[in-house]
Amino acid sequence: MLRLDDIDLIYNAGRVDEVVALRNLNVTFERGQFVTVVGTNGAGKSSLIQTISGAARPTRGRVHLDGRDVTRLPDHRRAGWIARVFDDPRAGTAPELSIEDNLALAMARGRARGLRFAVTARRRAVMREHVAGLGLGLENRLADRVGLLSAGQRQSLTMVMAALSAPSVLLLDEHLAALDPGTTATVLALTTELVRELGATTVMVTHNMDHALALGDRLLVMSRGRVIADYDGTEKSEMTVGGLIDRITGAGDAVSDRSALIEKVAS
Amino acid sequence: MIQVLLDMLVTGLPLVPVFLGIYTVFRLRADFDLTVEGSFVLGGAVCALTLVHGWPSWLALLAGMAGAAAAGAVTALIHLLLRVPVLLAGLVMSIGLFSVNLHVLDTPTLSLGTEGTLFSGFGSLSGRQADLATSGVMAGVVAVVLVAFGLFLRTELGLALRATGVNARMARSQGVNDRRLTVLALVLANGLAGLGASLAVQYQGYADVNMGGGTFVAGVGAVLLGELFVRPSGSKLVRIVGCVLVGTLAYRLVLVGALRVGLPAGDLRGVTALTLLVAIAAERYLGALGGLTRTLARTARSARTPIRQEAA
Repeated sequence: MLRLDDIDLIYNAGRVDEVVALRNLNVTFERGQFVTVVGTNGAGKSSLIQTISGAARPTRGRVHLDGRDVTRLPDHRRAGWIARVFDDPRAGTAPELSIEDNLALAMARGRARGLRFAVTARRRAVMREHVAGLGLGLENRLADRVGLLSAGQRQSLTMVMAALSAPSVLLLDEHLAALDPGTTATVLALTTELVRELGATTVMVTHNMDHALALGDRLLVMSRGRVIADYDGTEKSEMTVGGLIDRITGAGDAVSDRSALIEKVAS
Repeated sequence: MIQVLLDMLVTGLPLVPVFLGIYTVFRLRADFDLTVEGSFVLGGAVCALTLVHGWPSWLALLAGMAGAAAAGAVTALIHLLLRVPVLLAGLVMSIGLFSVNLHVLDTPTLSLGTEGTLFSGFGSLSGRQADLATSGVMAGVVAVVLVAFGLFLRTELGLALRATGVNARMARSQGVNDRRLTVLALVLANGLAGLGASLAVQYQGYADVNMGGGTFVAGVGAVLLGELFVRPSGSKLVRIVGCVLVGTLAYRLVLVGALRVGLPAGDLRGVTALTLLVAIAAERYLGALGGLTRTLARTARSARTPIRQEAA
């Protein structure tokens, strides 16, 4: 279970250029839940992801993962439990390194890195098996530089890397945003398959309302650093794209009723 | 001609570990560490001092390495605690170390006796044979260093080090502690500089407080030169050590050649700078040629395996 308690994330606090990224955020993600998150630019979606991954430390509040307070752990120390796929396909892999080196890097996630060889015959066999599932033929190109791969191939590889160490939380930060429509469909199919296979608590941020409604079993709508709506599976299945957009555009200042919001999120 | 090659070996081989350290920071970490200008001298000074105090030559070699590595650790601390770029931390260190080195040596130039160095046994040999034996011993040390370094890069730790230089955000998200690896890279790079300096000091028979000047630029020049010939990349580890070896020797060949042609020693820094410029120009100009052949090779390969989807 992943729990965010009373999270404030404020940049340049107390200065004229103060930016409130998250304000009094309370969300609980049940184990294995697949949650989609939508909202306009600056709504706090990426801040939510960064707070969970540890890339940003909240100004106030606590982050609990499986009963453990991880608030003070930086991102590299949470990596054993939390895997992340970035919006930029170039961000999730090291282009100068070979496919197998990238995979080996992910395989050591959550363990102390020592003087064992990173790529061994046994590990290569495991890699081949995982990559073969993509159907891209990458299993025959393990020694190739990742820089030679297309955006879709790189993003697929990042997904495989995320799954390698069986994380308990999977963060997808607009991971489809930079892909062309054809590749989007492929990576999307891979996403649903992977989430089902892993059984990890999944938080997927997206700009695409269709994806937000079609995938997952819970939907969060964010605006100005708060969660303004929280739909469970049934509510979500009855929702339309139009209704969702109305909810977001209608938000604005209408969401001043904070107490009602917290009650909703906590339930 | 043979003498030119021997000169290249005896003056170039000690620089191989030094430039390997520079490669580690400059290419693997994509950063600039100027500490090497001072740590090179510190390593040599510590080696000379321990030798004068009667330490065995091998131990003095390791002492020089440790001294320089400590300088790298201080640079890393300045970088992490004061949150200044490695470039600035190294610059401060390279200036400050001059005074430290002078204190260690206690004199601008500390001469060693003819006894007690790695190469003392070769005094009775003729000039050419002595050079041959000297380069043989140096080559042995350098080979151990290159193989050990190559193997290290293949380990999980070495892989993490290579990844942080290419994509630090990704490395962190894969659980790599970036800060710890910065310390490791700087300690390793400067330790290698100290090892090379110790070899040089034992060969030339003295340590001089000014012997480190220009090491950084020379190293970058040698790395660029090596990259022209060998074309290393992040996962081609044999090429990485090969690039440093070839680049260092090619750089020394240029300098030795310049001396043979009759240029005064004072012109060598100018030659170093010119070598650097030529290497950069060749990279720019010939890089297109190399890229073309690579593209052709890739096209040929993808024609054989029709699994590639859209182009990158």
